[in-house]
Amino acid sequence: MQILDKKRLENALDKLAGTAEVFLPVKKGTAQSGFYSWKTFDKEQDTLMLDALNVLLPPKNVLFPQTEKMYSFKEEGEGIEITGTYEDSKATIIFGTRACDAAAIERFDDVFLTRGYEDTLYKSRRENTVIIANACYEPGQNCFCTSMGINPTDPAAADVIIRDTGDAYIWEALSSKGEKVTGTISGLLESREVKLPELKSFNTIVDYNGVAEKLKNMFEHPIWDRLSQTCQSCGICTYVCPSCYCFDIQVKTRGNQGYRFRCWDSCMYSEYTQMAGGHNPRGDVKERFRNRFLHKLEFFNERYGKPLCTGCGRCIAACPAGISIAEIISEIKEADTDA
Amino acid sequence: MKEIGNKIREIASRLFNDGQVDIFIAWRKGNVDYQTKPYIAKSIEDVNNIVFDEYSIHVLSNYLLKFRDGKEKIGIVVKGCDSRGIVRLLEDQQIERERLYIIGVCCPGMKDPLKAMKDHSGLTEQIETTDGLAAKCLACIEPNPVIYDEILGEPQEPNQKGERFAQVIEIENMSPDERYKFFESTLSQCIRCYACRQVCVACNCRGCIFDEMKPQWVGRETSVSDNLMYHLVKASHMAGRCIECGECERVCPVNIPLMLINQKLIKDVNEFFGPYEAGMQYIEGAIPPLSVYKEDDPDNFI
Repeated sequence: MQILDKKRLENALDKLAGTAEVFLPVKKGTAQSGFYSWKTFDKEQDTLMLDALNVLLPPKNVLFPQTEKMYSFKEEGEGIEITGTYEDSKATIIFGTRACDAAAIERFDDVFLTRGYEDTLYKSRRENTVIIANACYEPGQNCFCTSMGINPTDPAAADVIIRDTGDAYIWEALSSKGEKVTGTISGLLESREVKLPELKSFNTIVDYNGVAEKLKNMFEHPIWDRLSQTCQSCGICTYVCPSCYCFDIQVKTRGNQGYRFRCWDSCMYSEYTQMAGGHNPRGDVKERFRNRFLHKLEFFNERYGKPLCTGCGRCIAACPAGISIAEIISEIKEADTDA
Repeated sequence: MKEIGNKIREIASRLFNDGQVDIFIAWRKGNVDYQTKPYIAKSIEDVNNIVFDEYSIHVLSNYLLKFRDGKEKIGIVVKGCDSRGIVRLLEDQQIERERLYIIGVCCPGMKDPLKAMKDHSGLTEQIETTDGLAAKCLACIEPNPVIYDEILGEPQEPNQKGERFAQVIEIENMSPDERYKFFESTLSQCIRCYACRQVCVACNCRGCIFDEMKPQWVGRETSVSDNLMYHLVKASHMAGRCIECGECERVCPVNIPLMLINQKLIKDVNEFFGPYEAGMQYIEGAIPPLSVYKEDDPDNFI
C-alpha cells in the first residue's frame, strides 16, 4: 500500500498547493475551527486540525460559499447589460474531510446537479474540486453517521481516501482525479505494509429505520410543541450543518449598476418564509423547527432516497439550548401516533 | 447545589399544586454530565426533570419573551444575571410582574456546557479548561438575584476581580487603524447566525431591523462591511440595556469577543449618563438612560 509519512505532510500540502487551492481543517488563531486555505496557514497562530476528529465549520463553504456573486449588471437607458458572471473554476482540493462531510457533498451533488437542473455556479466549482477524505476510526461523543447509513471508514464522493495510522497516512486513490493528485506527490509516497486502524464503537446510536415513513403522518403531532419549546430560533444549526443548502438571492445596487449574489439562508429565520403580501406560513418557532426536521428526515429522503442528516453531530454540540437531532430521531421513533 | 435543586423542585411542585403557576422555567439534564439545558415544565409531572447544577448557565429570562402575549402564570428560576434580565423586561414592559413567580438563586458561577460539548465532541484542539468557571462568570459583577419572590442559597461574592474594563481600555488605547483592523478581523468571522441576538434578553423588539426587507437596512452578505454594520447597529441598541450576562459571546459559534463591544458601551453609558448599571434594581416606572432625553445630557462626543 502507498504511505504518506506525517513527517512529509507539510511538504505534500505545499506540493498540492502548487497545483490547486488546498482547503483543510485548521483552527485559525482565536477564531473557530473550519476549512481554510493552506496558503493562508500561519504557523505562529494557526493549528492544523487533521488529528482532531473534525472542525466546527464544515467544508461546505468551499463548494458553496456563504456569499457568492452571481452576475453584475449596468443599466443603460432602457436596457440592462450583464457586465460579468462569476463562475469559479479554479482547481481546488478539499483535504482531510470526514465521511459525514463527504456524504453531505454527495447530497449537494443531488440537489445542485440532478433532477433536471444543473446549478452552473456549483457545477464549475465541483468539477474542479478533488476530495481527499480522511477515514474515521474514532467516533466522537455526538457522532452517529453509521445510524444515518454512512460508513465512516469508506467516505462517499472521495477521490482519495487517507487512513490515519498514527504517524503515517495510508494513501489510496479511487478516481482518475485522485490518481492525478497522487501523481503530484508521488515522490513523497512510499510503498510498505502497515496495519489498518480499527473502527471504535459509537457513543451515539439512533434508529432511523422507518422514521421517514412515520413522519408522513406526524405533521400535526403534539411532539413538535414539546421538542421546539426551548428553541430560540437562531441559525447555528443550519450554518454549522454540512448538508443544509438553503440560500437566498439578493441584489446590491449603487446608482445605475449593481450585482446579484446568493447567500446562505436559514429556515430557522422568520424572514425565510416571509411573503410579499405580508403572510408568513411559518411565523412561529414551532413551525420552522418542524419544517427543519421534516426536511432533514422526511422530505429529502422522499426525493433523493437518503436523509439530509449525515450524523456529524455539530448541531448537537453547538445548539445553545442543547437541542439534539439524535434525541429527536429517537423521540419520533418512539412517538405514539395512534392517539 | 444538590440541595438547591431539591428546593427548586419542592417549590415548583407547590406552585403547580396551588395553581400559582401554569409553567415553570428552569433547567434539565442532557445526556451527558457536562450538559444542562433550559427546560419548560408544563405540569407537576414534569417537575422531576428539573435540575440545578454547576452547568445551569443558560440565562432563562429570555424565554419569557415566548410568553409575553399570553396569560400564563410563570414560575422561573434566576441567578444574578437572569434576574437582571427580568428587570430589563419589566422596564421595557415586555411582561407583567404579577404573572411571574421568581425563585432567585445566589450563584457561585457556572461551567459552560457549550464549551464542554464542543471539547468532548472532538471539534476543538482538545479538552483544556472544561472544569473551570465559564469566562462570563469570571466577569460577573452581580451573582445574587436582584428581584425575586423567594431566594435560595447564601449570597455570593462577585467573581469579577481587578480592572473590570481592562480589555476595553486595551482596545481604546489602540490607534484608530489598529482598532479597525482588530474589529475587521474578528467580525469578518461572523456567519450571521444571529444567535447573539436570539439569546439576548435586551433584544426584545418584536420586529428587528436586520429582518426588514423593505427597505433592507443591512445587507445579507457575510462581507466585512455588512458584518460590521450588523454588529455596530446591534451593539448601539444595547447601550444602557446590556445586563452583561455574556450569553451572546458564550453561544457565538465562531468565538467573536462580543462582550468587548458591549462592555465599551456599558463603560461609556456609565461615564456619560451614570452612575448606571442596567437591570440592577427594579423601580416601577424607571427608564434606562438612553430612553430619556435631558437637556443637560452630554453631547460633546458628537
